[in-house]
Amino acid sequence: MNPNIALDTTQLWIALISACVGTYFCRSVGVFLSGRVDQNSEFFLWLTSVTYAMVAAMTARMIILPVGLLSTVPLYVRLAVCAVTIAVMVSGSKRRLGPALLVGIFCLVFYESYFGV
Amino acid sequence: MDTQKTTSHPSPLTPHSYSSQQEAFWGGVKEAIGAPAIVLFAGMIGFGAMGRTNGLDLWFTGFCSTFMFALPGQIVLLDMIITHSSTLAIAVAVSLSSARFVTMTLTLFPQFSERDKSKGAFAAVHLLAMTAWAVSMREFPMIGSQYRRSYFVGLGLFCWLLALPGTALGYFLAGTVSKTITIGLIFINPLFFVLTFTEIKTNWSRLAVVAGAILGPILYTLDPDSSLILSGLLGGSAAYWIDRLFIRKPIKK
Repeated sequence: MNPNIALDTTQLWIALISACVGTYFCRSVGVFLSGRVDQNSEFFLWLTSVTYAMVAAMTARMIILPVGLLSTVPLYVRLAVCAVTIAVMVSGSKRRLGPALLVGIFCLVFYESYFGV
Repeated sequence: MDTQKTTSHPSPLTPHSYSSQQEAFWGGVKEAIGAPAIVLFAGMIGFGAMGRTNGLDLWFTGFCSTFMFALPGQIVLLDMIITHSSTLAIAVAVSLSSARFVTMTLTLFPQFSERDKSKGAFAAVHLLAMTAWAVSMREFPMIGSQYRRSYFVGLGLFCWLLALPGTALGYFLAGTVSKTITIGLIFINPLFFVLTFTEIKTNWSRLAVVAGAILGPILYTLDPDSSLILSGLLGGSAAYWIDRLFIRKPIKK
């Protein structure tokens, strides 16, 4: 296909299909076990805690150690954009998810247009 | 029970009063139209563009978004293909990055009513992504358990249906869109998750988020493959025990 890619087409599709199967397997294991979990148990609380930590770990990784294009933006800019966005979000008593996202992305695009490499 | 703390946060604590499954389904769709749809669509545009720039065809990128439907895993896949990893290494690493789905499902599906738990669950679970999970965890306490499943399917289905068009659009736009815009599109995703964390109501969940956010990048530098699972288990357990031993009032049973 492309000099960037070492695998041939068949290998690529094998990798893709096994990745899809692996991902669906994780989802289905969850369904399979969910009949045995009581949402009022201590175990459920612990599991929720673990899941929040996992999702937070992934988010932090995407922001602090990104792969690809985003890594060309300095870390302090990425963190500053997050800070501005959170500030907009919590600035009022009502939810401001949409405006917060817009302001955050605008700040990042603004920085990139004038100071980006 | 839903009326607590209404003074500080009026809108998110308003209970949804659905009277039919259909209404709950469309309620989920309505919730999806807005931030979740934008976030998912933007992420998929970014992925489509990334796929094309790296020499993959539209079939490959489209198939990936539709049947894997897990953006972080898709990016791991693409990244490993470019860095010349073996087929087996790719399959293992992507599956490990999807391990979060086990606990995401385990924390969401038990909240459905008893009757709905098995109904089409193996199909519905494919619609689960971080976006739909975060929104559902936030909204479920305000929805009667008999309507949660329909609400989730409406929300998840709408997001899933956007995956392919988003990827295709990104694929065709690749190269024509400036680097600046692409960076903006990519950053919407993590930013959205940061914002959903600010809406978490319980102290122990907030603690878990902070612990995970600190451990995630540290453990990633040590071993990328296992870092998510380890940060989840270590950070989550720490938050749980701190809450149980120091914060929570003695359990009354």
